[in-house]
Amino acid sequence: MIDPIFQTDNYQLARKLLDVTVLRQQAIASNIANSDTPGYHRLDIAPDFAAQLKARLADGDGAKSIDSLQPQLAQDPNARTVRPDGNNVELGSELVAMDKNTVDFNFLSQVVTYDLKQMKMAITGQVV
Amino acid sequence: MNLIAGIDVTAGALDAQKTRLDIVAQNIANAQTTRTPQGGPYQRQVVSFESELLKRIGNGPPLETVRVASITPDRSPGQQVYNPQHPDAGPDGMVTMPNVNLAFEMVDLITASRAYEANLSVVKNARQMAMTALEIGK
Amino acid sequence: MSPLGSINPLSASPLTQIDTQLPKIGAGLPTTQGPAPTESFGQMLDGLVSNVEAKDVNAQDLTRQVLLGKNDQLHQSVIAMQEASVAFSMMIQVRNKLVESYQELMRMQV
Repeated sequence: MIDPIFQTDNYQLARKLLDVTVLRQQAIASNIANSDTPGYHRLDIAPDFAAQLKARLADGDGAKSIDSLQPQLAQDPNARTVRPDGNNVELGSELVAMDKNTVDFNFLSQVVTYDLKQMKMAITGQVV
Repeated sequence: MNLIAGIDVTAGALDAQKTRLDIVAQNIANAQTTRTPQGGPYQRQVVSFESELLKRIGNGPPLETVRVASITPDRSPGQQVYNPQHPDAGPDGMVTMPNVNLAFEMVDLITASRAYEANLSVVKNARQMAMTALEIGK
Repeated sequence: MSPLGSINPLSASPLTQIDTQLPKIGAGLPTTQGPAPTESFGQMLDGLVSNVEAKDVNAQDLTRQVLLGKNDQLHQSVIAMQEASVAFSMMIQVRNKLVESYQELMRMQV
């Protein structure tokens, strides 16, 4: 009976994307930490996650099917390097990616907060 | 309990870069040292890093942190300077100076401190994200 | 003339739209023979609810566009969410006041 309250598409989508931003934060932390490790290849979210997400959204059964999707890390196949040690981390672009990721995270948490607040207001009949 | 995502990876890197900065400082400080407890002029020390497996998320590649693999002396020969008044001068008046190149050391210093700052800003961002997460629903 | 000069901040406020639909209680009082209301109180409440509903749907829509990466206008989504939130609180307050006045009437000694 309680479950359908949390089944709005945006809420589920934002929740899943929050998982993604937390995972990406870890990947970026690892990339920056290893910016001087010879032979290290940069990590990012596996590119098939976005494709799977789009496919499930296109299927139309929305919220429920997103829940089982798990983002994974993978070595970034597009990163190139000119460094002799084979490390393909660019410190600058990692820092930019991290800032972008933080903004994404803040936005997503606001979306989730908004949905929860609306629900609380509707249930209690009090402005929160 | 680990509330701040990825912070354990960064902690290792901060330690490693700090060690590298210390060694650079030691090299610069000893740029003119011609007598050491081991005998002979000071030899430039080189820090090398290696990655350390931390954890694996799902079946993707593992998260790796960094640690100092070794601090090894640079074996290249030091410069020979003609200075017969020097207490460490050989019978021919030549002194073997340490193999420290200040230009190299400065480059290393800047690279290391840039890496250290980058890791620090990761900590800052991760902390801010955790604080935001605590505000969800408020 | 500055292009910004034509924007009236009050008319852009989300509240004015709701406000126009609210009962002007004070306005009808002095003359007991005022003009007949064009819509009933119930219709007006209905309008308020659907207005709030529309704002919420709009906010959800804009947010979804941002979540799916089709739009990078973050502020539009956040503003729409806040507008919907304010409108919703407004509706809740109207409802609370209505219930309150109803209970007040019920308590009245005849």
